[in-house]
Amino acid sequence: MKKRFLPLLAALSVLMISGTALAHFMVVYTPEIALDAGQDVDMRIVFTHPAEAGHTMDMGGVEEFYVMKQRGDAAAKKVDLMQYVKEIDWKNPESANKAFSALIPKKEMRSMGDYVFIMKPGYYMEEEEGVYMQQITKLILNVGGIPGNWAEPVGLPCEIVPLIKPYAVWTGNVFKAQVLSDGKPVANAEVEVEYMSHMPDLKANAMPAESSVKYPHDSFVTQTIFTDANGYITFGIPKAGWWGFAALGVGPDKEYKGKELSQDAVIWVKAEDMK
Amino acid sequence: MKKLMIVLTLAAMTAFAGQAFAHSPLMSCFDNGDGTITCEGGFSDGSSASGVSIHVTDGDGKSVLETKMNEDSECTFDKPEAAYSVMFDAGEGHQVKIDGADIVE
Repeated sequence: MKKRFLPLLAALSVLMISGTALAHFMVVYTPEIALDAGQDVDMRIVFTHPAEAGHTMDMGGVEEFYVMKQRGDAAAKKVDLMQYVKEIDWKNPESANKAFSALIPKKEMRSMGDYVFIMKPGYYMEEEEGVYMQQITKLILNVGGIPGNWAEPVGLPCEIVPLIKPYAVWTGNVFKAQVLSDGKPVANAEVEVEYMSHMPDLKANAMPAESSVKYPHDSFVTQTIFTDANGYITFGIPKAGWWGFAALGVGPDKEYKGKELSQDAVIWVKAEDMK
Repeated sequence: MKKLMIVLTLAAMTAFAGQAFAHSPLMSCFDNGDGTITCEGGFSDGSSASGVSIHVTDGDGKSVLETKMNEDSECTFDKPEAAYSVMFDAGEGHQVKIDGADIVE
């Protein structure tokens, strides 16, 4: 009886793991990241599954939210943005949870140049797997067309450093970036890629049920790529819109409160069609 | 034939030297709300605009102020009382002009 039961249990647990093997993605979103002039910038911070508008999770609060601004070769300037972070309720078709908004006023967004936003969330407990997750997320915005520090590492515990302007990507371009942990390239790191198929509705603080993509098979929902020996990823962008990249478990912290921690690095880029 | 090649090579080099300036000048100005205007400039390739000439002219095109971008590629000046415009002048083909009416807080 016991011998028969074991394979069944094993099969069941495999089923459960494959059921939960969806990509968790920290979303730091604002509709436009290539701005002609400074303006108020309304952002949302949500921990969810953007390709499927799936389960939305409690990220455990926002530990840090700031921007590194730079125009040309001037010195980069750090501005703390925690005062603009507000808790909100986020709704997906079959899931709701707390999330955050941040309305960054024009006075902080007035200068031309790059704005590298960094959001370090708290810790999320993934009950099914008994592991904590923390996805440190970057979103890079430009005002006025003068580049700045978009290709510079910020010096985060782990981060994805783009090698193509992440706010000026054409559909069909190759997104290339380097994954760093404590400033050093990470070879053979697993990087998950998802498309924002359900565009966030900032007024309703929700993702709609309609998807802009028909996925032919479950394996297309979350694409998986690996970094090469020097920590580089390359990914052809097949469709205009938002693409998220999450390098899993690359951070130096491996444990939190006695449990395994997956400290991930996330970056979002936006591709535009050539017209 | 050899001479022709040299001439052609020189011509090509001159043409490419011209293309090395394939950056566009950019400027943005705002009203600080305290009677002053700040303009910041630069180039689309990220190069500095430090030392670039700034001409502020009145409605008749008369010069009101001649200044230069500072080391941060910025300049701040008193807001003229009447109509005015600001020109970022980094040489021929590298100029940007902004009408004072479009400069807001």
